[in-house]
Amino acid sequence: MKKITLVLLISFFANKFCAQGCSDAGICSINQGFQSDAKQFKNRLEFATIYSLGEADLAYFSPYISYTKRFNDKFSFTSKITFSTANGSFGTRSQFGDAFVIGNYIFKEKKEKQWSVLLGFKFPFTASNLKINAYSLPLDYQSSLGTIDLFLGTNLNYKKWDFNGAFQIPIINLNKNSYFKEYGGTEDFPSTNLFDRKPDALLRATYSMKTSNLKFKFKPNVLFIYHLGEDSFENIFGQRENIKGSDGLTVNGNIITSYAVSKQSSLEFLLATPFVVRDFRPDGLTRSFVIGLQYLYSF
Amino acid sequence: MKKALLITVIILFASCQEEGILTKEREKFVVNPDSELKYYGAFVPTSGILVTGDAKIYLENGQYKVVLDNFSISSGPDLKVYLSKANTPSDFINLGNLTNQTVYPIPNSVNVSNYSHVLIHCQQYNHLFAIAPLTQN
Repeated sequence: MKKITLVLLISFFANKFCAQGCSDAGICSINQGFQSDAKQFKNRLEFATIYSLGEADLAYFSPYISYTKRFNDKFSFTSKITFSTANGSFGTRSQFGDAFVIGNYIFKEKKEKQWSVLLGFKFPFTASNLKINAYSLPLDYQSSLGTIDLFLGTNLNYKKWDFNGAFQIPIINLNKNSYFKEYGGTEDFPSTNLFDRKPDALLRATYSMKTSNLKFKFKPNVLFIYHLGEDSFENIFGQRENIKGSDGLTVNGNIITSYAVSKQSSLEFLLATPFVVRDFRPDGLTRSFVIGLQYLYSF
Repeated sequence: MKKALLITVIILFASCQEEGILTKEREKFVVNPDSELKYYGAFVPTSGILVTGDAKIYLENGQYKVVLDNFSISSGPDLKVYLSKANTPSDFINLGNLTNQTVYPIPNSVNVSNYSHVLIHCQQYNHLFAIAPLTQN
């Protein structure tokens, strides 16, 4: 046990300073719509606060509110609103991020296997061009990527395992970011003027363990995100330029500890860090460490 | 309980901004009095815009600089300074955000003689605000 703890700690600190972690409340938390034990309740509210560290000296505080309505044993609908405060050398910038609407359909369980599918959309509250004192800010400081995204996903629940697969596809690009490295005053962030973002594919495996009194649940999971192409931006000469190394694989480790406060409510504590990262991460989704607390209330 | 929850939510979601070391008012670029004036032109507004002042291009120690002289313009959400080959923003160099700076250095790789206009353009809403056709001095 001590060895495992030591390995985990070493891995965590080795990746702390140059990594991309689980990012916005988008693809990383997409599988939440699949999971609910409180099947006797028709509604669920979630309040979450997430603290994370990003590129350079950036720190984030990112709360969100989510509401899930279960229409019957098969259909449910989730809506979510995110907010983000980014603090670093450019200053502090806070703003609403995105609104999510996600529909979820669960198929009948067969031989301990249960499939479900989801379809959802993400709508940005900003064009990803927030400024401070008229200075453009890197995407790392923006509360949203400024894209309308489509989510398509599926989940297989088998005994204590959950396997998710999903795509996050930008379908309308509203990004009007105007940050140029040439004029930013620092080398820490790449140019992202009129940023064009490529889709992501997600694979996640989660193992659930419960204590005998059912009060605590542990859900360690590993999350693979593949960025399906190189992002691009418009350079100072008005030419579109691909960002080499912005495609590729990110692997995150994540552990969720859930405590059942009552039949209706629970607290979840989240820890996440990346183990494999893309060479270049211009989208501002870089997190080296994520810690979160979530309160869930069913009624 | 409901009030406390409401107040907490409002505090958590309050929008704000605070300047940092990289967004504090930066030292203004200046043009040396000995610099050579190479091109100049008066700004003309597009429909519904108010603008006054001139665009001037100086050469200082091998570095070209656009200077906005006696300049003021209607406010806009995302105004940029372009050095352009035409009176529309189709082939241009983005010299950066229009801020309280009045001097905008031109990258050394640029052949300035190929450019005929200085434009003030709102990039976010793709709206041209002002045009200064350049004349060689």
